[in-house]
Amino acid sequence: MPRHWRAPFSFLLSVVILPLCTSAANSFENTAIVRTVELGGALVHVTTTYAVKALEDGSSVYTIALAEQEHAHTSWLEAKLKGESERLPLEDFGFHQDSGVFLYTIELPKALNTNQTANLVIETVQTHATYPWPEEAGQKDGQSLKYEAELLVLSPYKTAVQRTKVRSPSPQIHSYTTPEDVEFTTDAVATKSGATITYGPFHDIPPSATSDFADKKQKHITVHYSYDYPVLEVTKLERAAEVSHWGANLNIEDKYWLHNAGPRLKGHFSRLEYQTQNYFGRPAPHTIPALQLHLPAGIHDAYYYDLVGNVSTSHLRTTPSIPKGAAPNQYSVLELRPRYPIVGGWNYSFTLGWDSPLEDYAGYDKATGKYVVSVPIMTVIPGSVVDEAEVKIVLPEGATDIEYFVPYPALDETISTHISYLDTVGRPKITLKYAQLTDKHGGNIYVTYKVPFSAHMKKPVAVTTAFAGIFTLALAWKRVDFRIRRK
Amino acid sequence: MADYLSVQALHKATPAFSPAVPVALLPYLAFVLLSATFALAFYFSTLPKEKIPAHELAVASAASLLGGFGVVALFCSVGVYV
Repeated sequence: MPRHWRAPFSFLLSVVILPLCTSAANSFENTAIVRTVELGGALVHVTTTYAVKALEDGSSVYTIALAEQEHAHTSWLEAKLKGESERLPLEDFGFHQDSGVFLYTIELPKALNTNQTANLVIETVQTHATYPWPEEAGQKDGQSLKYEAELLVLSPYKTAVQRTKVRSPSPQIHSYTTPEDVEFTTDAVATKSGATITYGPFHDIPPSATSDFADKKQKHITVHYSYDYPVLEVTKLERAAEVSHWGANLNIEDKYWLHNAGPRLKGHFSRLEYQTQNYFGRPAPHTIPALQLHLPAGIHDAYYYDLVGNVSTSHLRTTPSIPKGAAPNQYSVLELRPRYPIVGGWNYSFTLGWDSPLEDYAGYDKATGKYVVSVPIMTVIPGSVVDEAEVKIVLPEGATDIEYFVPYPALDETISTHISYLDTVGRPKITLKYAQLTDKHGGNIYVTYKVPFSAHMKKPVAVTTAFAGIFTLALAWKRVDFRIRRK
Repeated sequence: MADYLSVQALHKATPAFSPAVPVALLPYLAFVLLSATFALAFYFSTLPKEKIPAHELAVASAASLLGGFGVVALFCSVGVYV
Protein backbone atom coordinates (compact mmCIF):
# COMPACT_ATOMS: atom_id res chain seq x y z
CA MET A 1 0.00 0.00 0.00
CA PRO A 2 1.33 3.52 -0.67
CA ARG A 3 2.41 4.68 2.73
CA HIS A 4 3.07 8.18 3.95
CA TRP A 5 5.56 7.12 6.57
CA ARG A 6 9.01 5.65 6.32
CA ALA A 7 9.86 2.04 7.01
CA PRO A 8 12.58 1.69 9.70
CA PHE A 9 15.84 2.85 8.21
CA SER A 10 17.78 -0.15 9.39
CA PHE A 11 16.78 -3.73 9.83
CA LEU A 12 19.35 -4.03 12.60
CA LEU A 13 17.69 -1.23 14.48
CA SER A 14 14.31 -2.86 14.07
CA VAL A 15 15.71 -6.09 15.47
CA VAL A 16 16.85 -4.12 18.50
CA ILE A 17 13.65 -2.11 18.84
CA LEU A 18 11.16 -4.94 18.28
CA PRO A 19 12.03 -6.82 21.48
CA LEU A 20 11.72 -3.46 23.23
CA CYS A 21 8.26 -3.21 21.74
CA THR A 22 7.19 -6.50 23.19
CA SER A 23 8.51 -5.42 26.54
CA ALA A 24 6.83 -2.12 25.83
CA ALA A 25 3.71 -4.25 25.53
CA ASN A 26 3.54 -3.90 29.26
CA SER A 27 3.72 -0.15 29.23
CA PHE A 28 0.18 0.48 27.98
CA GLU A 29 -3.29 -0.81 28.60
CA ASN A 30 -6.35 -0.27 26.43
CA THR A 31 -9.24 0.92 28.55
CA ALA A 32 -11.55 0.81 25.55
CA ILE A 33 -11.38 0.04 21.83
CA VAL A 34 -14.24 1.00 19.53
CA ARG A 35 -14.01 0.03 15.87
CA THR A 36 -16.50 1.51 13.41
CA VAL A 37 -16.69 -0.07 9.99
CA GLU A 38 -18.41 2.09 7.37
CA LEU A 39 -19.42 -0.33 4.65
CA GLY A 40 -19.18 0.89 1.09
CA GLY A 41 -18.73 -0.50 -2.39
CA ALA A 42 -15.15 -0.55 -3.56
CA LEU A 43 -13.89 1.10 -0.37
CA VAL A 44 -14.57 0.37 3.27
CA HIS A 45 -13.62 2.99 5.86
CA VAL A 46 -12.62 1.64 9.26
CA THR A 47 -12.09 3.97 12.22
CA THR A 48 -10.68 2.45 15.40
CA THR A 49 -10.51 4.52 18.55
CA TYR A 50 -8.12 3.30 21.25
CA ALA A 51 -8.49 4.79 24.72
CA VAL A 52 -5.04 4.01 26.14
CA LYS A 53 -3.66 4.28 29.63
CA ALA A 54 0.07 4.32 30.28
CA LEU A 55 1.37 1.87 32.88
CA GLU A 56 4.89 3.29 33.02
CA ASP A 57 6.37 6.75 33.06
CA GLY A 58 7.59 8.15 29.75
CA SER A 59 5.52 5.86 27.52
CA SER A 60 5.43 7.45 24.09
CA VAL A 61 5.48 4.63 21.52
CA TYR A 62 2.20 2.79 21.04
CA THR A 63 2.02 -0.34 18.91
CA ILE A 64 -0.98 -1.48 16.87
CA ALA A 65 -1.38 -4.86 15.21
CA LEU A 66 -3.14 -5.82 12.00
CA ALA A 67 -4.00 -9.39 11.12
CA GLU A 68 -2.78 -10.77 7.79
CA GLN A 69 -6.10 -10.63 5.99
CA GLU A 70 -6.89 -7.13 7.24
CA HIS A 71 -3.43 -5.88 6.29
CA ALA A 72 -3.76 -7.30 2.77
CA HIS A 73 -6.84 -5.16 2.21
CA THR A 74 -5.61 -1.98 3.92
CA SER A 75 -4.49 0.77 1.54
CA TRP A 76 -4.48 3.80 3.81
CA LEU A 77 -3.48 4.02 7.44
CA GLU A 78 -3.46 7.20 9.47
CA ALA A 79 -3.13 7.84 13.19
CA LYS A 80 -4.28 10.95 15.00
CA LEU A 81 -5.11 12.01 18.51
CA LYS A 82 -8.85 12.39 19.01
CA GLY A 83 -9.93 15.93 18.21
CA GLU A 84 -6.63 16.91 16.55
CA SER A 85 -5.97 17.15 12.84
CA GLU A 86 -2.21 16.55 12.86
CA ARG A 87 -1.05 13.13 11.71
CA LEU A 88 1.14 11.23 14.16
CA PRO A 89 4.42 9.68 12.92
CA LEU A 90 3.89 6.05 12.02
CA GLU A 91 6.57 3.38 11.61
CA ASP A 92 5.99 0.11 9.81
CA PHE A 93 7.59 -2.86 11.50
CA GLY A 94 6.36 -5.35 8.95
CA PHE A 95 5.26 -8.89 9.46
CA HIS A 96 6.08 -10.56 12.73
CA GLN A 97 6.63 -14.25 11.87
CA ASP A 98 6.02 -15.61 15.37
CA SER A 99 2.73 -13.89 15.97
CA GLY A 100 1.43 -13.73 12.39
CA VAL A 101 0.53 -10.04 12.62
CA PHE A 102 1.72 -6.82 11.06
CA LEU A 103 2.93 -4.27 13.60
CA TYR A 104 2.95 -0.49 13.39
CA THR A 105 4.20 1.92 16.00
CA ILE A 106 2.79 5.35 16.64
CA GLU A 107 4.77 8.08 18.31
CA LEU A 108 2.64 10.07 20.71
CA PRO A 109 3.36 13.81 20.69
CA LYS A 110 3.82 13.88 24.48
CA ALA A 111 5.10 10.95 26.52
CA LEU A 112 2.53 9.72 29.02
CA ASN A 113 3.27 9.08 32.67
CA THR A 114 1.75 6.28 34.76
CA ASN A 115 -2.06 6.26 34.64
CA GLN A 116 -2.23 9.11 32.13
CA THR A 117 -4.63 8.50 29.26
CA ALA A 118 -4.86 9.40 25.61
CA ASN A 119 -7.36 8.72 22.82
CA LEU A 120 -5.88 7.52 19.54
CA VAL A 121 -7.93 7.43 16.36
CA ILE A 122 -6.65 5.11 13.62
CA GLU A 123 -8.34 5.53 10.26
CA THR A 124 -7.88 2.93 7.58
CA VAL A 125 -9.36 2.49 4.13
CA GLN A 126 -9.74 -1.05 2.85
CA THR A 127 -9.91 -1.90 -0.85
CA HIS A 128 -11.31 -5.09 -2.42
CA ALA A 129 -12.72 -6.03 0.98
CA THR A 130 -16.24 -6.55 -0.38
CA TYR A 131 -17.49 -8.81 -3.13
CA PRO A 132 -20.86 -9.01 -4.87
CA TRP A 133 -23.22 -11.68 -3.57
CA PRO A 134 -25.04 -13.11 -5.51
CA GLU A 135 -22.25 -12.92 -8.07
CA GLU A 136 -24.67 -12.56 -10.96
CA ALA A 137 -27.70 -10.32 -11.19
CA GLY A 138 -30.21 -9.60 -13.90
CA GLN A 139 -30.80 -6.07 -15.13
CA LYS A 140 -33.87 -5.64 -12.94
CA ASP A 141 -32.33 -7.17 -9.82
CA GLY A 142 -30.72 -5.26 -6.99
CA GLN A 143 -27.10 -5.27 -5.90
CA SER A 144 -25.81 -6.79 -2.67
CA LEU A 145 -22.31 -7.10 -1.32
CA LYS A 146 -20.65 -9.19 1.36
CA TYR A 147 -17.99 -7.96 3.75
CA GLU A 148 -15.83 -10.28 5.80
CA ALA A 149 -13.77 -9.30 8.81
CA GLU A 150 -12.52 -10.60 12.11
CA LEU A 151 -14.55 -10.06 15.21
CA LEU A 152 -11.94 -8.88 17.68
CA VAL A 153 -9.48 -6.03 17.24
CA LEU A 154 -5.94 -7.30 17.87
CA SER A 155 -3.60 -5.46 20.17
CA PRO A 156 -0.31 -6.31 21.87
CA TYR A 157 -1.74 -4.84 25.08
CA LYS A 158 -4.50 -5.94 27.43
CA THR A 159 -7.94 -4.58 26.59
CA ALA A 160 -10.56 -3.85 29.21
CA VAL A 161 -13.51 -3.51 26.85
CA GLN A 162 -13.96 -3.42 23.09
CA ARG A 163 -16.80 -3.31 20.62
CA THR A 164 -17.17 -3.24 16.85
CA LYS A 165 -19.90 -1.37 15.01
CA VAL A 166 -20.61 -2.22 11.41
CA ARG A 167 -22.58 0.49 9.62
CA SER A 168 -24.24 -0.22 6.31
CA PRO A 169 -25.16 2.61 3.92
CA SER A 170 -28.70 1.27 3.65
CA PRO A 171 -30.84 -0.33 6.39
CA GLN A 172 -31.35 -3.40 4.19
CA ILE A 173 -28.99 -5.92 5.75
CA HIS A 174 -29.76 -9.41 4.47
CA SER A 175 -27.75 -11.34 7.03
CA TYR A 176 -24.91 -11.01 9.51
CA THR A 177 -22.90 -13.58 11.43
CA THR A 178 -23.73 -14.15 15.07
CA PRO A 179 -20.55 -15.80 16.34
CA GLU A 180 -20.90 -18.49 18.97
CA ASP A 181 -18.65 -19.48 21.84
CA VAL A 182 -17.11 -16.07 22.21
CA GLU A 183 -15.20 -16.12 25.48
CA PHE A 184 -15.22 -12.50 26.40
CA THR A 185 -18.89 -11.74 26.77
CA THR A 186 -21.97 -13.08 28.48
CA ASP A 187 -24.53 -10.89 26.72
CA ALA A 188 -25.73 -11.15 23.14
CA VAL A 189 -22.73 -10.92 20.84
CA ALA A 190 -24.47 -9.08 18.00
CA THR A 191 -27.28 -6.54 18.13
CA LYS A 192 -28.80 -4.84 15.11
CA SER A 193 -30.42 -1.43 15.23
CA GLY A 194 -31.40 0.13 11.89
CA ALA A 195 -28.36 0.07 9.65
CA THR A 196 -25.84 -0.59 12.45
CA ILE A 197 -24.77 -3.95 13.82
CA THR A 198 -22.93 -3.79 17.13
CA TYR A 199 -20.68 -6.68 18.15
CA GLY A 200 -19.78 -6.67 21.80
CA PRO A 201 -18.99 -5.37 24.32
CA PHE A 202 -16.14 -7.83 24.95
CA HIS A 203 -14.41 -7.63 28.30
CA ASP A 204 -10.92 -8.38 29.59
CA ILE A 205 -9.14 -9.47 26.46
CA PRO A 206 -5.47 -10.43 27.03
CA PRO A 207 -2.73 -9.26 24.62
CA SER A 208 -4.07 -10.64 21.37
CA ALA A 209 -1.29 -10.02 18.82
CA THR A 210 -0.27 -13.66 18.92
CA SER A 211 -0.90 -16.57 16.55
CA ASP A 212 -2.36 -18.52 19.45
CA PHE A 213 -5.12 -15.99 19.89
CA ALA A 214 -5.76 -15.87 16.14
CA ASP A 215 -6.17 -19.65 16.03
CA LYS A 216 -8.15 -20.24 19.18
CA LYS A 217 -10.09 -17.17 20.15
CA GLN A 218 -10.64 -15.06 17.01
CA LYS A 219 -13.94 -15.37 15.16
CA HIS A 220 -14.93 -14.34 11.65
CA ILE A 221 -17.93 -12.25 10.79
CA THR A 222 -19.65 -11.73 7.45
CA VAL A 223 -22.21 -9.05 6.70
CA HIS A 224 -24.42 -9.31 3.64
CA TYR A 225 -25.96 -5.96 2.78
CA SER A 226 -27.72 -4.20 -0.04
CA TYR A 227 -25.71 -1.47 -1.78
CA ASP A 228 -27.57 1.08 -3.90
CA TYR A 229 -24.63 2.76 -5.65
CA PRO A 230 -22.40 1.50 -8.44
CA VAL A 231 -19.14 -0.18 -7.41
CA LEU A 232 -16.54 1.44 -9.63
CA GLU A 233 -13.05 0.10 -10.02
CA VAL A 234 -10.35 1.71 -12.13
CA THR A 235 -8.21 -1.30 -13.05
CA LYS A 236 -5.57 0.88 -14.65
CA LEU A 237 -4.88 4.60 -14.73
CA GLU A 238 -2.12 6.17 -16.81
CA ARG A 239 -1.56 9.86 -16.26
CA ALA A 240 0.86 11.90 -18.35
CA ALA A 241 1.61 15.50 -17.38
CA GLU A 242 3.59 17.62 -19.83
CA VAL A 243 5.13 20.94 -18.86
CA SER A 244 5.66 23.52 -21.61
CA HIS A 245 7.52 26.73 -20.92
CA TRP A 246 7.03 28.28 -24.39
CA GLY A 247 3.30 27.77 -24.24
CA ALA A 248 3.08 28.34 -20.45
CA ASN A 249 0.92 25.24 -20.31
CA LEU A 250 0.46 22.07 -18.29
CA ASN A 251 -1.23 19.33 -20.27
CA ILE A 252 -2.65 16.40 -18.32
CA GLU A 253 -3.84 13.30 -20.14
CA ASP A 254 -5.46 10.41 -18.30
CA LYS A 255 -6.10 6.98 -19.72
CA TYR A 256 -8.71 5.08 -17.72
CA TRP A 257 -9.61 1.42 -17.76
CA LEU A 258 -12.90 1.22 -15.86
CA HIS A 259 -14.51 -1.90 -14.50
CA ASN A 260 -17.91 -2.24 -12.86
CA ALA A 261 -17.13 -4.49 -9.90
CA GLY A 262 -20.76 -5.16 -9.10
CA PRO A 263 -22.59 -8.43 -9.79
CA ARG A 264 -22.05 -9.76 -13.33
CA LEU A 265 -24.95 -9.31 -15.70
CA LYS A 266 -27.11 -12.44 -15.89
CA GLY A 267 -28.47 -12.94 -19.37
CA HIS A 268 -28.20 -10.39 -22.12
CA PHE A 269 -28.40 -6.61 -21.93
CA SER A 270 -31.86 -5.36 -22.89
CA ARG A 271 -31.84 -1.81 -24.21
CA LEU A 272 -35.61 -1.72 -23.83
CA GLU A 273 -35.40 -2.65 -20.17
CA TYR A 274 -32.69 -0.04 -19.66
CA GLN A 275 -34.76 2.71 -21.32
CA THR A 276 -37.82 1.72 -19.29
CA GLN A 277 -35.87 1.96 -16.06
CA ASN A 278 -34.58 5.41 -17.00
CA TYR A 279 -38.02 6.58 -18.04
CA PHE A 280 -39.57 5.62 -14.72
CA GLY A 281 -36.61 7.03 -12.78
CA ARG A 282 -35.64 3.66 -11.30
CA PRO A 283 -32.06 3.12 -12.48
CA ALA A 284 -30.46 -0.16 -11.44
CA PRO A 285 -27.66 0.29 -8.85
CA HIS A 286 -25.25 -1.94 -10.74
CA THR A 287 -25.40 0.07 -13.98
CA ILE A 288 -23.15 3.07 -14.54
CA PRO A 289 -24.76 5.29 -17.19
CA ALA A 290 -22.55 8.33 -16.66
CA LEU A 291 -19.60 9.56 -14.63
CA GLN A 292 -19.11 12.92 -13.05
CA LEU A 293 -15.50 13.98 -12.60
CA HIS A 294 -14.25 16.96 -10.63
CA LEU A 295 -11.36 18.34 -12.62
CA PRO A 296 -9.13 21.22 -11.50
CA ALA A 297 -10.27 24.83 -11.89
CA GLY A 298 -9.01 26.91 -14.80
CA ILE A 299 -8.78 24.15 -17.40
CA HIS A 300 -9.60 24.58 -21.07
CA ASP A 301 -9.60 22.54 -24.29
CA ALA A 302 -10.62 19.26 -22.67
CA TYR A 303 -10.81 16.20 -24.93
CA TYR A 304 -12.48 12.84 -24.35
CA TYR A 305 -12.06 9.97 -26.77
CA ASP A 306 -11.97 6.20 -26.71
CA LEU A 307 -10.89 3.45 -29.12
CA VAL A 308 -13.66 4.28 -31.59
CA GLY A 309 -12.95 8.02 -31.64
CA ASN A 310 -14.17 11.21 -30.07
CA VAL A 311 -17.06 10.82 -27.64
CA SER A 312 -19.35 13.79 -27.94
CA THR A 313 -21.64 12.87 -25.03
CA SER A 314 -19.83 14.92 -22.45
CA HIS A 315 -20.37 18.31 -20.88
CA LEU A 316 -17.67 20.40 -19.25
CA ARG A 317 -18.45 23.28 -16.96
CA THR A 318 -15.24 25.14 -16.16
CA THR A 319 -14.53 27.40 -13.24
CA PRO A 320 -11.97 30.24 -13.30
CA SER A 321 -8.36 29.61 -12.28
CA ILE A 322 -7.39 29.57 -8.64
CA PRO A 323 -3.97 30.88 -7.57
CA LYS A 324 -1.03 28.45 -7.37
CA GLY A 325 -0.82 26.50 -4.15
CA ALA A 326 -4.28 27.54 -2.92
CA ALA A 327 -6.48 24.84 -1.40
CA PRO A 328 -8.89 23.79 -4.14
CA ASN A 329 -12.45 24.67 -3.22
CA GLN A 330 -13.74 25.02 -6.76
CA TYR A 331 -13.69 22.36 -9.42
CA SER A 332 -14.52 22.13 -13.08
CA VAL A 333 -17.23 19.53 -13.53
CA LEU A 334 -17.07 17.12 -16.43
CA GLU A 335 -20.05 14.84 -17.04
CA LEU A 336 -19.06 11.89 -19.16
CA ARG A 337 -21.56 9.57 -20.76
CA PRO A 338 -19.76 6.54 -22.24
CA ARG A 339 -21.03 4.98 -25.45
CA TYR A 340 -22.82 2.28 -23.48
CA PRO A 341 -23.92 2.00 -19.85
CA ILE A 342 -21.35 0.00 -17.92
CA VAL A 343 -23.33 -2.90 -16.48
CA GLY A 344 -21.99 -5.27 -13.81
CA GLY A 345 -18.82 -7.03 -14.89
CA TRP A 346 -18.34 -4.81 -17.95
CA ASN A 347 -15.30 -2.72 -18.80
CA TYR A 348 -14.80 0.60 -20.54
CA SER A 349 -11.62 2.43 -21.42
CA PHE A 350 -11.13 6.02 -22.54
CA THR A 351 -8.67 8.89 -22.73
CA LEU A 352 -9.39 12.22 -21.10
CA GLY A 353 -7.08 15.22 -21.29
CA TRP A 354 -7.01 18.96 -20.77
CA ASP A 355 -4.74 21.99 -20.84
CA SER A 356 -4.24 24.36 -17.94
CA PRO A 357 -2.17 27.53 -17.48
CA LEU A 358 1.28 26.72 -16.07
CA GLU A 359 0.99 29.75 -13.77
CA ASP A 360 -1.49 27.76 -11.64
CA TYR A 361 0.94 24.92 -11.07
CA ALA A 362 4.51 26.17 -11.34
CA GLY A 363 6.63 28.74 -9.61
CA TYR A 364 10.07 30.16 -10.35
CA ASP A 365 12.57 30.90 -7.61
CA LYS A 366 14.87 33.61 -8.99
CA ALA A 367 17.45 33.18 -6.23
CA THR A 368 18.22 29.53 -7.03
CA GLY A 369 17.01 29.52 -10.65
CA LYS A 370 14.73 26.59 -9.86
CA TYR A 371 11.27 25.91 -11.14
CA VAL A 372 8.82 24.11 -8.83
CA VAL A 373 5.83 22.41 -10.39
CA SER A 374 3.03 20.49 -8.69
CA VAL A 375 1.28 17.66 -10.50
CA PRO A 376 -1.82 16.06 -8.93
CA ILE A 377 -1.45 12.27 -8.71
CA MET A 378 -4.96 11.57 -9.96
CA THR A 379 -8.51 12.89 -10.22
CA VAL A 380 -10.23 11.40 -7.21
CA ILE A 381 -13.45 9.58 -8.05
CA PRO A 382 -15.16 9.29 -4.64
CA GLY A 383 -15.81 5.73 -3.54
CA SER A 384 -13.67 4.11 -6.21
CA VAL A 385 -10.39 2.25 -6.06
CA VAL A 386 -7.51 2.49 -8.54
CA ASP A 387 -5.77 -0.87 -8.81
CA GLU A 388 -2.75 0.25 -10.81
CA ALA A 389 -1.63 3.81 -11.49
CA GLU A 390 1.27 5.16 -13.51
CA VAL A 391 2.10 8.86 -13.38
CA LYS A 392 4.48 10.27 -16.00
CA ILE A 393 5.77 13.82 -15.70
CA VAL A 394 7.46 15.22 -18.81
CA LEU A 395 9.66 18.23 -18.16
CA PRO A 396 10.88 20.77 -20.76
CA GLU A 397 13.82 19.80 -22.96
CA GLY A 398 17.19 20.38 -21.33
CA ALA A 399 15.88 20.36 -17.75
CA THR A 400 18.63 19.66 -15.21
CA ASP A 401 18.94 19.14 -11.43
CA ILE A 402 15.66 17.25 -11.39
CA GLU A 403 14.30 16.36 -7.94
CA TYR A 404 10.85 15.04 -7.17
CA PHE A 405 8.94 14.75 -3.91
CA VAL A 406 6.01 12.39 -3.56
CA PRO A 407 3.32 12.40 -0.82
CA TYR A 408 3.46 8.57 -0.57
CA PRO A 409 6.36 6.39 -1.73
CA ALA A 410 5.91 4.96 -5.21
CA LEU A 411 6.30 1.27 -5.98
CA ASP A 412 8.64 2.09 -8.84
CA GLU A 413 10.43 5.27 -9.94
CA THR A 414 12.38 5.86 -13.15
CA ILE A 415 13.69 8.81 -15.13
CA SER A 416 13.90 8.34 -18.89
CA THR A 417 13.79 10.40 -22.07
CA HIS A 418 10.61 11.26 -23.95
CA ILE A 419 10.79 12.49 -27.53
CA SER A 420 8.04 14.78 -28.71
CA TYR A 421 7.42 17.64 -31.17
CA LEU A 422 10.40 19.83 -32.14
CA ASP A 423 12.73 17.87 -29.83
CA THR A 424 16.42 17.30 -30.49
CA VAL A 425 17.81 15.58 -27.40
CA GLY A 426 14.43 14.66 -25.90
CA ARG A 427 12.69 15.65 -22.68
CA PRO A 428 13.28 14.15 -19.22
CA LYS A 429 10.36 12.00 -18.11
CA ILE A 430 9.74 10.86 -14.53
CA THR A 431 7.62 7.70 -14.25
CA LEU A 432 6.09 6.70 -10.91
CA LYS A 433 3.99 3.59 -10.30
CA TYR A 434 1.37 3.17 -7.60
CA ALA A 435 -1.16 0.51 -6.63
CA GLN A 436 -4.41 0.40 -4.64
CA LEU A 437 -5.13 4.11 -4.54
CA THR A 438 -8.27 5.25 -2.73
CA ASP A 439 -10.13 8.52 -2.47
CA LYS A 440 -7.68 9.56 0.27
CA HIS A 441 -4.75 9.47 -2.14
CA GLY A 442 -5.45 12.73 -3.95
CA GLY A 443 -2.10 14.39 -3.29
CA ASN A 444 0.39 16.38 -5.37
CA ILE A 445 3.83 15.40 -6.64
CA TYR A 446 6.30 18.29 -6.54
CA VAL A 447 9.17 18.45 -9.03
CA THR A 448 12.00 20.97 -8.93
CA TYR A 449 14.25 21.50 -11.93
CA LYS A 450 16.36 24.10 -13.69
CA VAL A 451 16.19 25.06 -17.35
CA PRO A 452 19.11 27.19 -18.59
CA PHE A 453 18.44 29.86 -21.24
CA SER A 454 20.29 27.82 -23.85
CA ALA A 455 17.91 24.90 -23.27
CA HIS A 456 14.94 27.20 -23.82
CA MET A 457 16.46 28.19 -27.16
CA LYS A 458 16.92 24.59 -28.33
CA LYS A 459 13.59 24.44 -30.12
CA PRO A 460 13.77 27.68 -32.13
CA VAL A 461 17.39 26.85 -33.00
CA ALA A 462 16.37 23.39 -34.20
CA VAL A 463 13.71 24.84 -36.52
CA THR A 464 16.12 27.60 -37.64
CA THR A 465 18.67 24.93 -38.55
CA ALA A 466 16.04 23.05 -40.55
CA PHE A 467 15.10 26.21 -42.47
CA ALA A 468 18.78 27.05 -42.99
CA GLY A 469 19.29 23.57 -44.42
CA ILE A 470 16.50 24.18 -46.93
CA PHE A 471 17.98 27.55 -47.89
CA THR A 472 21.43 26.00 -48.32
CA LEU A 473 19.91 23.40 -50.61
CA ALA A 474 18.27 26.21 -52.57
CA LEU A 475 21.63 28.02 -52.81
CA ALA A 476 23.28 24.88 -54.14
CA TRP A 477 20.37 24.15 -56.48
CA LYS A 478 20.69 27.56 -58.10
CA ARG A 479 24.35 26.91 -58.90
CA VAL A 480 23.89 23.53 -60.59
CA ASP A 481 23.12 23.44 -64.30
CA PHE A 482 20.28 21.00 -64.98
CA ARG A 483 19.89 21.76 -68.67
CA ILE A 484 20.05 18.73 -70.93
CA ARG A 485 21.75 20.57 -73.82
CA ARG A 486 24.32 23.24 -73.18
CA LYS A 487 24.01 26.32 -75.38
CA MET B 1 8.20 13.90 4.99
CA ALA B 2 9.94 17.06 6.13
CA ASP B 3 11.38 17.39 2.60
CA TYR B 4 7.91 17.10 1.14
CA LEU B 5 6.47 19.72 3.44
CA SER B 6 9.36 22.10 2.76
CA VAL B 7 9.01 21.79 -1.01
CA GLN B 8 5.25 22.24 -0.62
CA ALA B 9 5.92 25.49 1.26
CA LEU B 10 8.46 26.53 -1.37
CA HIS B 11 5.91 25.86 -4.09
CA LYS B 12 3.36 28.04 -2.37
CA ALA B 13 5.81 30.87 -1.65
CA THR B 14 7.58 31.24 -5.01
CA PRO B 15 6.14 33.68 -7.54
CA ALA B 16 4.05 32.06 -10.26
CA PHE B 17 5.69 31.03 -13.52
CA SER B 18 5.55 33.71 -16.20
CA PRO B 19 6.58 32.95 -19.77
CA ALA B 20 9.13 35.03 -21.67
CA VAL B 21 6.48 35.88 -24.23
CA PRO B 22 2.86 36.40 -23.05
CA VAL B 23 0.70 33.55 -24.29
CA ALA B 24 -2.01 35.83 -25.69
CA LEU B 25 0.58 37.40 -27.98
CA LEU B 26 1.76 34.13 -29.49
CA PRO B 27 -0.76 33.83 -32.38
CA TYR B 28 -0.01 37.38 -33.54
CA LEU B 29 3.71 36.82 -33.15
CA ALA B 30 3.43 33.62 -35.18
CA PHE B 31 1.58 35.44 -37.97
CA VAL B 32 4.05 38.32 -38.08
CA LEU B 33 7.16 36.14 -37.94
CA LEU B 34 5.95 33.61 -40.48
CA SER B 35 4.81 36.36 -42.90
CA ALA B 36 8.26 37.91 -42.62
CA THR B 37 9.84 34.49 -43.22
CA PHE B 38 7.67 33.99 -46.30
CA ALA B 39 8.49 37.47 -47.64
CA LEU B 40 12.20 37.01 -47.07
CA ALA B 41 12.15 33.56 -48.66
CA PHE B 42 10.43 35.06 -51.70
CA TYR B 43 13.04 37.82 -51.81
CA PHE B 44 15.78 35.19 -51.48
CA SER B 45 14.47 33.45 -54.56
CA THR B 46 14.84 36.61 -56.62
CA LEU B 47 18.46 37.29 -55.68
CA PRO B 48 21.09 36.88 -58.42
CA LYS B 49 23.91 34.36 -58.12
CA GLU B 50 27.19 35.80 -56.78
CA LYS B 51 30.63 34.29 -56.32
CA ILE B 52 30.55 35.00 -52.58
CA PRO B 53 26.85 34.71 -51.72
CA ALA B 54 27.00 37.16 -48.83
CA HIS B 55 23.66 38.81 -49.55
CA GLU B 56 21.91 35.48 -50.12
CA LEU B 57 23.31 34.05 -46.92
CA ALA B 58 22.28 37.11 -44.94
CA VAL B 59 18.71 36.94 -46.23
CA ALA B 60 18.60 33.16 -45.73
CA SER B 61 19.85 33.45 -42.12
CA ALA B 62 17.34 36.15 -41.30
CA ALA B 63 14.52 34.11 -42.83
CA SER B 64 15.61 30.95 -40.94
CA LEU B 65 15.83 32.72 -37.60
CA LEU B 66 12.43 34.34 -37.98
CA GLY B 67 11.03 31.04 -39.20
CA GLY B 68 12.46 29.20 -36.20
CA PHE B 69 10.70 31.41 -33.68
CA GLY B 70 7.61 31.68 -35.89
CA VAL B 71 7.14 27.91 -36.03
CA VAL B 72 7.49 27.54 -32.24
CA ALA B 73 4.92 30.32 -31.77
CA LEU B 74 2.67 28.65 -34.37
CA PHE B 75 2.79 25.29 -32.63
CA CYS B 76 1.83 26.89 -29.31
CA SER B 77 -1.02 28.88 -30.90
CA VAL B 78 -2.67 25.81 -32.38
CA GLY B 79 -2.56 23.87 -29.12
CA VAL B 80 0.58 21.75 -29.49
CA TYR B 81 2.37 23.18 -26.50
CA VAL B 82 5.99 22.41 -27.35
